[in-house]
Amino acid sequence: MRISLTVNGEKFRLEVEPRRTLADALREDCGLTGTHLGCEHGVCGACTVQVDDSAVRSCLMFAVQCDGHTVRTVEGLAAPDGTPHPLQSAFTAEHALQCGFCTPGFLMLAAAALDEDPAITDDPDRLRELLTSNLCRCTGYESIRRAVRRAADMPGPPD
Amino acid sequence: MAEPGTPGGSVTRVEDGPLVSGHGCFVADLRVPGCTEAAFVRSDTAHGRLRAVDLGVSRQVPGVLGAWSAGDLEEIPLVPVLMDPDVDGGRPWPALAVDRVRYSGEPVAVVVAEDRYLAEDGRDAARVTLDPLPAVLDPQVAARDEVLLYPGRSNVAVETTLGDPIDAGVWERAAVVVEARYRYPLLCHTSMEARAILVRPDTGGGITVWCSHQAPHRLRGDLADALGLEADKVRVVVPDVGGAFGGKSETWPEYLAVALAALRLDRPVRWVEDRKEALTAGPRGRGQSQWVRLASDAGGHLLALEMQTDAAVGGYPHTGSFLPEVTGRMAAGTYAIPQVCVRARAVVTTTPPLCPYRGAGRPEAAYAVECTVDLMARRLGMDPAQLRRLNFVRPEAFPFDTPTGFRYDSGDYAAALDLALRTVGYADWRSEQARRRAHGGTPLGLGICTYVERSGAGGEYGALEAHADGSFTATSGCCSTGQGHATTFAQVVASELGVDRRRVRLIEADTAVVPDGVGSFASRSMQSGGEALLRAARDLVSEARERAAARTGVRVDTASFERGAVRANGSTFTLAELAADRPLRSEARAEPPQAFPFGAYVAVVEVDPELGTVHVVRLVAVDDYGTVVNPLVVRGQTYGSIAQGLGQALYEADVHDEEGVPRAVSLLDYLLPTLSEMPEVAMDETCTPNPNTLLGAKGAGEAGCIGTPPAVVNAVADALRIDPTVLAIPLTPRVCWEAGR
Amino acid sequence: MKPAPFDYAAPATRQEVLEALAVAPDGTRVLAGGQSLVLEMNQRAARPHRLVDINNVADFDRLEVDRAEQDGGWLRVGALVRHRAFEQPVESGPLGRLLARTAHFIAHPPVRSRGTLLGSLAYAHPTGEWPTLAVTLGAELVLASADGTRTLDAESFLIGPFTTALRPGELLEEARFPLLRPTTGTAFVELRRTAASFAHLSAATALSVEDGIVVDVRLGMAGIAPQPVRARDAEHRLVGRPPTDSVIAEAATVAAAGVTDPPPDPHSGSAYRRHAATVLAERALVKARQDISEEVERP
Repeated sequence: MRISLTVNGEKFRLEVEPRRTLADALREDCGLTGTHLGCEHGVCGACTVQVDDSAVRSCLMFAVQCDGHTVRTVEGLAAPDGTPHPLQSAFTAEHALQCGFCTPGFLMLAAAALDEDPAITDDPDRLRELLTSNLCRCTGYESIRRAVRRAADMPGPPD
Repeated sequence: MAEPGTPGGSVTRVEDGPLVSGHGCFVADLRVPGCTEAAFVRSDTAHGRLRAVDLGVSRQVPGVLGAWSAGDLEEIPLVPVLMDPDVDGGRPWPALAVDRVRYSGEPVAVVVAEDRYLAEDGRDAARVTLDPLPAVLDPQVAARDEVLLYPGRSNVAVETTLGDPIDAGVWERAAVVVEARYRYPLLCHTSMEARAILVRPDTGGGITVWCSHQAPHRLRGDLADALGLEADKVRVVVPDVGGAFGGKSETWPEYLAVALAALRLDRPVRWVEDRKEALTAGPRGRGQSQWVRLASDAGGHLLALEMQTDAAVGGYPHTGSFLPEVTGRMAAGTYAIPQVCVRARAVVTTTPPLCPYRGAGRPEAAYAVECTVDLMARRLGMDPAQLRRLNFVRPEAFPFDTPTGFRYDSGDYAAALDLALRTVGYADWRSEQARRRAHGGTPLGLGICTYVERSGAGGEYGALEAHADGSFTATSGCCSTGQGHATTFAQVVASELGVDRRRVRLIEADTAVVPDGVGSFASRSMQSGGEALLRAARDLVSEARERAAARTGVRVDTASFERGAVRANGSTFTLAELAADRPLRSEARAEPPQAFPFGAYVAVVEVDPELGTVHVVRLVAVDDYGTVVNPLVVRGQTYGSIAQGLGQALYEADVHDEEGVPRAVSLLDYLLPTLSEMPEVAMDETCTPNPNTLLGAKGAGEAGCIGTPPAVVNAVADALRIDPTVLAIPLTPRVCWEAGR
Repeated sequence: MKPAPFDYAAPATRQEVLEALAVAPDGTRVLAGGQSLVLEMNQRAARPHRLVDINNVADFDRLEVDRAEQDGGWLRVGALVRHRAFEQPVESGPLGRLLARTAHFIAHPPVRSRGTLLGSLAYAHPTGEWPTLAVTLGAELVLASADGTRTLDAESFLIGPFTTALRPGELLEEARFPLLRPTTGTAFVELRRTAASFAHLSAATALSVEDGIVVDVRLGMAGIAPQPVRARDAEHRLVGRPPTDSVIAEAATVAAAGVTDPPPDPHSGSAYRRHAATVLAERALVKARQDISEEVERP
């Protein structure tokens, strides 16, 4: 099927089988390999991207469902001039990644939530519930939580 | 810059930039022209005779380029053994099953197609005919040899006895003797990136291999041996690795099959293990069944400890057979017990292959020893902290030779325990516990684990070169799988040379560039690899002083080195200047003996007595890793290993049905801790530098897997006022409820 | 873990959806949120020949309170209303609060922003939160096909683990939850091992008390039988009596007595399950009673 989708502001026209997941279309057809596949059943969250500003599991959507929609991946997180997103700086500052495989998913999850409501970091339960969405096997999560809080306190995203 | 007592300090990592921007490069991310993808046809039976593998329809599936079972190959390569070359004892492990399968998920055929979707279509079209044989899952049952995995050979692949036999009179003279049985379940490593390999045939008959791996040089040697290639025809490159935890230091059968397929197709072939494969057919850790007997006099002086441990090493005794021996060698724990004797057996079972998992034999030892010590404290009516203190190996007793043949290098176990108890507020919690017991409230328990472990194995290569532009290249035989070597090794070098760490670039994980290396496992990187780089830096300084002395015509011992420059005869030469004419470089090997990091963990838990659910209120970890180069990085690894330790204690287990078919096929069944499961954690360190190295570092990064489970189990037992041996990990609500009834 | 091939259609109207489902109904599945279906397709545990994606049908995201009817009215939930819609109360009464409490137990935010309430009913996980609530509250489900529509109550619809009364060619188009009288306190409690796991057991209740006497109660349990069940015997023990600790304890014991043939799980046997079900039923009822004093009787 022919589809077109806008990823990180760039329009992609793709020819895909219906069964191609959004994650594979992003990775293999758009060449955006920052979106990782960790479980392919929606649990780990490494493949989390934003579709129309909502954080979703790109392994549980088909690319054909995104025809005409807008997708944002980790490659589109920094400003066009390369200025890092506050979350990206905060993840480094708080040592919120070790192997880095889960990191893009956590970043896109948190970025969507902060865009929607920066005050989420003021509510420990809401922040915990949000970050419980994804799995990390290296950090034990606390540094990720600190990083999201730190990012919320930093100057707004460059866009 | 550097914090007191740390050669580097808590600097943030240089490797993060690409990883936070989507520009990391894991094996699945590689763009290699013409690359194809592999999928495996696997046995759905734990044990059976393989009658037929029909790939006829598979080969007809559009997009499928080739499909092979063992029967399609003139010669089937054998999986190399991991440590002891004799360990398989005539039990060969073919890359694809030949006439028998010995675990559910064992590779039977490989299918290669233009993409993974098509490869799975081809996989599903395969027809495998098997005659089922009885499954044997428990190593103690398997050791009875009623069902043989290798006809004519015992299921006991390795049996080791450690320590002298215990004088039988001890058990009679002792005031208290306790016995206990433990079962450490099989666990899945569950690195977020599972195994992955890409093999590209090169012109000239060689191959380039990109693999998510911990030991590229070993993989190169193994692949060359198995495929009949010269070692210099095999280049192994390890790109970014999404966690490893011991499951990626081996040469797995899938790797050999992928390499074979690539050579036959003369095209690059990639295999990315998916989560279902990882959970059902991938490597396993732990899996020991243990029996422990411990004797004490009336005053709490431990007299003797006897242990028998059997490990379920899976269908092929290649990769995990040394683990029960490691457990046995650690059986004395932190204690000066006069007599310790262990029988450790590696037993083949119809389960996926056992291999090291973060802690690798030490968590199994700490669990058995520390729960048994708590049991003894209950019997003696002593506080568990006091019983431990009474029996610790004393600081002045190091180096200490254990009855099981290890030499503990250094330590102050009481200092670690005291710090942990102070940090947690032990007396206050005991008061709160007494208050609740008297006046009602949710049952509260405290649990202690004092551990000693072993880190490092073998030597490591390091090299350093100063460049004329003022930068440095450090080369290491280690292989980071997320530990941050590019940051921390640069810190070691920079701090020794007194230069800006950002001018030090690290090269590792490519056999074409790094001449020699062992890799990153057994917490060895800083202990051995960091030491090698430190020695290389000192050698570089010696060479620089000689050059400066020669240039100025003075004796070398009058040339001094400080902050990246040599002063000789009134002149100052930077290392860059001294490297301008001819290369200024050094090479070193560090061969430190094994080190023995230690520490104390304390858990505070509440147990819902009605449902059996465990709430870990607080966890305190005090670790002694010797010298710590980057506390930020080391604490990050401690924290992560605590999370995995909580997983072991409370959630994780590879469960099979009676036929040996895995029950946990997804992360909805094999449960990892999420943020919501994490307690309040406090970390602290004592520092007893490694006496056998210049750097003073001991291994770090596995401690939480070792110290956390016994602390949690002992705490739950304390809350329920039961023997810890009534419990079994993982502490599911049902286990705790039944134990507390 | 890649899905097997399938054909795909994404009709834009209800009529086109029903027509599409009528073509080769066997092997055709409806794709709404896809959070369970795509998971199973990735594992190749589900291999539909054809998916009919209903995400382009504008009317299907309707979420309306219909107070016109007798018996207090209904909340009508369309086929594309996502779990997330319920995180905040969708109506000001006890039902809105109960749905909001329950929504937070479902998976995690990214799945809640795609997955749908009706999809969860059609998936029929034996301890799924929405199926449990639908059974507890006596939700009515509207099933549409090219031949017309029919309405089933939730208990008739959920007939086993992952098994429903949906026929090939049918779409689960609407769920109607009865609004709860203002005097109702509600609770939803679960026993699960981690935040990423399905529940072992859950209990949902809506308890109405007037003048200190239980006038109406719904108690539903999941994890004690192959599909969520209503504990009617326990409800009967409560009605007409004051909701004291001892009455609640008695009812909870009765509720758990129904443990029959629970869904298989390697980590909890039936003795534990029966015991834990009693505890959960009791806790749910106590929470609901407390809810009355905190929410209903709030000045």
